[in-house]
Amino acid sequence: MAATAIPEIQPGIVQTTEDKPKSGLEPGYLVICWNDPVNFMDYVTHVFQAVFGWPRKKAEFHMLQVHEQGQSVLTRESMEKAEHYVHQLQKYSLHATMERDE
Amino acid sequence: MKLIQATRSRLVFHLGQRENRLLRQVLKLYPRVPSAHQKLSKSSRLPDAEANQRLLDEALAERRAENKKHLQALLADPRRFAHTETGGRLSLSPAEVEWVLQVLNDIRVGSWIILGSPDEKRPELNERMAPDFAAMETAGYFEVQLLEALRGET
Repeated sequence: MAATAIPEIQPGIVQTTEDKPKSGLEPGYLVICWNDPVNFMDYVTHVFQAVFGWPRKKAEFHMLQVHEQGQSVLTRESMEKAEHYVHQLQKYSLHATMERDE
Repeated sequence: MKLIQATRSRLVFHLGQRENRLLRQVLKLYPRVPSAHQKLSKSSRLPDAEANQRLLDEALAERRAENKKHLQALLADPRRFAHTETGGRLSLSPAEVEWVLQVLNDIRVGSWIILGSPDEKRPELNERMAPDFAAMETAGYFEVQLLEALRGET
């Protein structure tokens, strides 16, 4: 097992390693694609490329997540944008929804 | 179904006699996914959930109506979908390929829903289910051909 490096703290420099608190982010909505046994893997990849403009590798990564884990969070957006993406994905008859990011 | 010409603005396919007949028959089944089948969210915690669901239903209904109109025009246009001596010739722009894919997948998914949304195991077929199963598989066959053409595999 690799050793964990001990960070060197210099005087006078305030280190902030915590993530930005959630309350500081704009309220967001997750666009999620769910697995189903009817849509072809190639078709799902194609739709992700067409809707999000993603390169094939990224589209395939999310398609495989849907296939293997049952779902994939495709993006986190404002309500309007999330709605737009869900509309687009459903026009292709994919099982996609938007869920509030808690 | 064989891709015989591919340019930036057009994909041209040759279809055999049976493919030509099958594609025309299956496209006429559109739309198959029941209206109001698709849900905007799995939870009911979205603001204005009902109004937003209504918006989705309307957008999808509008898209189906547009696709249906495009489809009828395609089926009646011998420059884009022609009968030939050896079968048929289908000529599509990239934008047309996208809506034909949407149409075919609607037929595939809609047929699957009619079949009772079976899991990956093939359902036991009977006389009543056979036409829907055939529609699902036929739409899938043409989807795969179009996707392969888009990837330059044929």
